[in-house]
Amino acid sequence: MCPPTPVRSVVGMAQNASDEQRVMTMSDRERRPTTRTAEALRLVSVSKVYGTGDSAVTALDGVTLSLPAGSFTAVMGPSGSGKSTLLQCAAGLDRPDRGRVLVAGEEMSGGSEAALTKFRRDRIGFVFQQYNLLPTLTVEENTSLPLRLAGRKTDRDRVRAILTQVGLGERLGHLPDELSGGQRQRVAIARALVTRPGVIFADEPTGALDTRSARDVLGLLRETVRLHGSTVVLVTHDPVAASYADSVLFLADGRLAGHLSAPTAEAVAERMTHLGDRVAERRADNGPLMEV
Amino acid sequence: MLFLAVRSVRERPGRFLATLLSAFLGAVIIMMFGSLHDTAAAPGVDEVSSESMTISASVVGGYGSLLVFFAIASTLTVGVRQRAEEIRLLRRTGATPAQISRMVVGESAVVALAGAVLAVGPAVLGGRLLLDLFKDGGMVAAHVEPAFGAMALGSGFGVAVLASVGAAFLAVRRATRTGAHRPARGRARTLAGCAALVAGTGGVLTTYAVDGTEEMLMAFPAYGAILLSVGFAVLAPSLLGRLLELLRGPLALVGGAGGYLSARNLRRRGAELAGVLMPMIIFTGVATATLYIQGVESDWVTRSGLEKTVEDKNVETLNLVVVGIIVVFSCIMLVNSLYAATSYRSGEFGRQRLAGATPGQVLGVVGWEAVILTLTGLVLGTVAGVAGIIPFTMVRTDQVLPGQGPATWLAVIAVATVVTLGTSLGTARRTLRTPAIEAVTVAA
Repeated sequence: MCPPTPVRSVVGMAQNASDEQRVMTMSDRERRPTTRTAEALRLVSVSKVYGTGDSAVTALDGVTLSLPAGSFTAVMGPSGSGKSTLLQCAAGLDRPDRGRVLVAGEEMSGGSEAALTKFRRDRIGFVFQQYNLLPTLTVEENTSLPLRLAGRKTDRDRVRAILTQVGLGERLGHLPDELSGGQRQRVAIARALVTRPGVIFADEPTGALDTRSARDVLGLLRETVRLHGSTVVLVTHDPVAASYADSVLFLADGRLAGHLSAPTAEAVAERMTHLGDRVAERRADNGPLMEV
Repeated sequence: MLFLAVRSVRERPGRFLATLLSAFLGAVIIMMFGSLHDTAAAPGVDEVSSESMTISASVVGGYGSLLVFFAIASTLTVGVRQRAEEIRLLRRTGATPAQISRMVVGESAVVALAGAVLAVGPAVLGGRLLLDLFKDGGMVAAHVEPAFGAMALGSGFGVAVLASVGAAFLAVRRATRTGAHRPARGRARTLAGCAALVAGTGGVLTTYAVDGTEEMLMAFPAYGAILLSVGFAVLAPSLLGRLLELLRGPLALVGGAGGYLSARNLRRRGAELAGVLMPMIIFTGVATATLYIQGVESDWVTRSGLEKTVEDKNVETLNLVVVGIIVVFSCIMLVNSLYAATSYRSGEFGRQRLAGATPGQVLGVVGWEAVILTLTGLVLGTVAGVAGIIPFTMVRTDQVLPGQGPATWLAVIAVATVVTLGTSLGTARRTLRTPAIEAVTVAA
């Protein structure tokens, strides 16, 4: 297996400025279209507040980041840090209050749900903790569904090839209820791959799986990055799952709070512990969060 | 557990609205006709009047009780199924199935009692109206005074409460029973359906054996058509499954992704569809058969130069009232079961949307399903209805088809179509307001 590609996930962080600041400068953005395909996902000052008045909760607070194509990034943070909101805003499942989201260089518009769905289904793949397969469709039908919904021609051979690749070539006609959790998640991965999306978002994909199936699924996600050149964003709270990624972004109180390349489970776990401490400290003196 | 039951009704009255409504309407109808018994039993009522009223009350009372029972049972079953999560929670908290059963049955009894109490006022008025109708028709002497007593109250409260308690007991037993043993029920279902079809065919064919001028002639085709409707309704889900095997390809071609998903959904959801198809087939079959047979009969009486006897008028009024009751109750059942079946699928719609379906495509799936269901229901219902109409027309007159034209049938079909499509699409639209990601989380 080839060594992990150097990760250039960019976080609006002070000490990374030399390399990363250029992503955010205006002049750079104008120059960028020529290399547009190299960037799979970009968020610019994305904020999201839930509720109003006293009960308002800032779930995301001006998050800016950029992920290159072909990267495998884990997003980690304590509960309530805004992981899920980040994923939903980046994936077009929820609309940010402020900021911009660009997938494969194209800006996500704030149009109707139908417009957002059409944007999503050509550019984004999903893998969820609860699989979200349709119970009345077989493995093969579930996998080709996004193509059918998009009105694209379903290439049977390709669907079968992907399913064979995820190890389900023998189970094309099974219904989801007849499969184990690990197998269902592999169907979900195949379904996410079938449209060749710019980014695949995986939200706690191993949350409902036993250790062994979890390892298989994570390995498969890593393989899709290596073999298909997909870009995968993995949201998780499990340091072991995060260690499969090329790099980890840490999130606390709706802001980016650190970055780790070539992570190991131990290093991630340690960082998470400190993150918890610092969040508690910050909440105590209500000061700004220090960057790493 | 009764305190839980009372609390649960008080805190969430909206959820019991469907049950309350069907108990209320059911009790109104039963009490209205029950009051005819009371009126007939009063001293000083002549024999003809008394007989007119007693016959009507018995026929509609029996008929109505059955329908009311079905309507209440259908709304309750749906209600209990929607509360599967709450029931699971209670079981995990340590409630035994018996305790849960007492809670749900208790709730249903409370709701049914409330419905019956509310029904007393309208039923008193309705009873008077009915009596006036009988008087206007000359079936009851003008001096007869309306009465509302033991028979009305007893039958009204009895049917509403018994139906609720019985249906709740069966529904909750199904909900609390772990493990699946369905096949036996499927076979019993098929057997019952076939039996109804055989009996219905028998009834319809008997018409030919009866003399063309016999007064009771219409009973055979009418009951035959009703039994055929019931038989079709029971067998419809599996028939539909087979039909869809053939229709899969064409549907995907015509309906795009929506049609594709509809065909696959319908094929695997037989049990849930039964609840929707049953009221639709019965509605179409019974309404068509009764209205046309009554029409042919009235024409025949007029043409043969006979004066309409009191009995003829009785039968006519009765038929129309029965059709009215069937229409109202089938509509309640149809709306209720469609609403429940559709809102229950919020999670499924969420998954479709996450897989890339636009709201329009989800509505397309629901729309195609509604169209297929409506067509199935209307075709089977019409077959049952026509099976009763043709023999009656052939024996009573020398024609094959009744002379009224298709207007009545078209009206019946229009009502069924509007109700089915309107409820499905309306409910689905409302369900789609929940963001997709929330919809799947709630259901998971």
